[in-house]
Amino acid sequence: MNLEAAKPVAAASAAAAKPVAVVIKDIVQEYPAPGGGVTRVIDKVSLSFDQPGINMLLGPSGCGKSTILHMLGGVRPMGVDTPTAGSVLIDGVECHAPHDDAVMVFQRYANRPDLSVFDNVAFPFRLKLWRSQVPEVDWRQRVADILKAVGLSDKVGLRPAQLSGGQNQRVALARALVLRPRILLMDEPFGALDAQTREEMQQLLIGLYQDWPCLVVFVTHDVTEALMLGDRVIVLSTQPARVADDFLIDEARPRSAAWQRSREAQALEERILNQLHQASPGRGQVRVTV
Amino acid sequence: MTEFWNPYAPLDSRRRRLLGVGAALTVLLLWSVVAASGLVSSTKLPAPWEVLAALSYLSWHDGGSMLFTATLWSVGRLLVAGVLVISIGIPIGIVMGAAPQVNAALSPLVDPFRSAPVVALLPILVMWLGIGETMKIAFLFIGAVVYLIPMVRDAIQAVPQSYWIGARDLGATPWECIHRAVIPMAMPRIADAVIVAFSVMWTYITVAEYVNAREGLGQLIQNARRFSAWDQVFAGIMVIIALALATYQLMVWLKRRLYPWETQL
Repeated sequence: MNLEAAKPVAAASAAAAKPVAVVIKDIVQEYPAPGGGVTRVIDKVSLSFDQPGINMLLGPSGCGKSTILHMLGGVRPMGVDTPTAGSVLIDGVECHAPHDDAVMVFQRYANRPDLSVFDNVAFPFRLKLWRSQVPEVDWRQRVADILKAVGLSDKVGLRPAQLSGGQNQRVALARALVLRPRILLMDEPFGALDAQTREEMQQLLIGLYQDWPCLVVFVTHDVTEALMLGDRVIVLSTQPARVADDFLIDEARPRSAAWQRSREAQALEERILNQLHQASPGRGQVRVTV
Repeated sequence: MTEFWNPYAPLDSRRRRLLGVGAALTVLLLWSVVAASGLVSSTKLPAPWEVLAALSYLSWHDGGSMLFTATLWSVGRLLVAGVLVISIGIPIGIVMGAAPQVNAALSPLVDPFRSAPVVALLPILVMWLGIGETMKIAFLFIGAVVYLIPMVRDAIQAVPQSYWIGARDLGATPWECIHRAVIPMAMPRIADAVIVAFSVMWTYITVAEYVNAREGLGQLIQNARRFSAWDQVFAGIMVIIALALATYQLMVWLKRRLYPWETQL
C-alpha cells in the first residue's frame, strides 16, 4: 500500500523520523469482569503500519481503541497483562514496556499545574533516559523551537491554569513532539475541546506533521475528524473490537470544507457509519460534526 | 440579604467578620455578666478582667516575663518534635502511598493509633524514657506522627493516575514517576498534613509538660492550678490557643505561597 500519494509534500521539512515498522498480530485483550470471569475487549485484531502517515483508529467510545494505543506505547494503566494474547512488534521487537520510539498524547493533557509552559515541555529532559541522550544546550533549543511551532512562544512562563484548553493541549503536543518520536500516539486528544478549538488543533497537527512526518496513530470517535485528518482510516467494531473496515483517503491536507461536502467524502462517511451500525447495532456512540 | 438556608450563597467578608466578632463579643459579655453578678464564685470562674490582669502579671512582673520564657520552651519543644515528625513521618507516608506492599504491611501498625488514646501512652513513655526532655518530645512526636503518616499516604494515593502514566510513557523509571510526577503533585496535601500535625502537637503540649516540667506553658498552667490561681489557668489556655491559631495561619499562608496552583488541580 502506498500512503505517499496522500501525504502532502513537506518541501521545507528539515528532518524526518526514521520509518518504523509496527505490526500488531492477532491481539486479544481480556479484562476481569466485575461479576467474575473475563470480558473480551479486543478480539484478534491484526494491523500493520510501515510508513509515516496519519492513521485514524475510529470506533464507538469504549470499544478498546485506547487499549490498542496503550499496547503500542507499552503502558499498562490497568495493571493487567497486555495483550492477553498475540503480539505487538516494533521493528520486529516485541513491545512490553514503554519505549523511546512512541510518545502519547492524552485527552486529559496531564500538564503539571506547578510547572511553567517551558518546564512542562522540558519535563522529559529532566528524566534520566533523555538527560543522558540530549545535552542541555540542544534540548533548550528544541523546546524553544517546538514552542514556536505550536504558537506558545509568548506563553513560556505561564502556568497551565493561565491557559485555555486548546493551549494546554498545545503544551501536551509540544512535550510529545520535542522528543522527535518515530511514533506519535494520540488518544482522543481533541475530544474535550469545543468545536472551533478542535478544528484549530487539527490544523495545527497537520502543520506539525508536515514538519515532522512520523507514524501517527490517532484514536477518535469523531467520524468527521477521521475524514479530515486521516491518510488511513481503520474502523473498529465494539465489544469485542474487531477491524470492521480499513481504507486509505487519497486527498491532500488540509482538506477543505468543499471537499468535506464532496460526493467522495460523503460516500466515505456513509461507508463508515454503515460499518459501525453493522458491526455494533445500537451499541456505543459516534460523533459526526457538520 | 442572602438566603438563610443556602449553603452555596457566598457571604461577603465584611458580614462574615461582623457575625464572627459579634458572636465572640456576645460570649465575652455573657461571661462578664455571670462573673459580675456573683452567681458563680470568682474562684470557679474568674472574670474576663481578672484573666486580663493575670495575663499582664504573667507577661511582666519582678523584672521578668514568665509567659515569654514558658512560650519559648514550649515552642522549642514543638519545633524539635515538628522537625522529627516531618523528617520521619513524611518519608514513611510517601513510601506507604507509593508502594502498595509497604502500605499493606505498615498500615495495620500505624492506622489503629489514630484512634488510640495517645495520652495513655504517657506513663509508658515515662517508664521507658524517664522524665526529661526526651520523653516530652517523644510524646509530641508520637501524638502527631500517627496523624501525619496516614494523611501523607492518602495525599500520594490521591494524585490522579494520568500524571503517573504520562511520566511513565515519556520514559521515566518507576521511581522517577514517583519523585518527579507524583510527589510534587501531592505536596499541597502533604502540607495540609503538616498543618494538622502542628495543631495536634499544640493540643498535646500541656499533657507533655505535665510531668516534671520546670518551664513551659503546660507547666505554667499546671503550677497555677496547684495554687488555684484560676485566672492564670485561663490566661495560659488562651495563650496556647492564640499561639496555635497563629501557627495555623502562618502555615496556611506559607502553603499558599509555596503551592499557589493547588486549587487548579
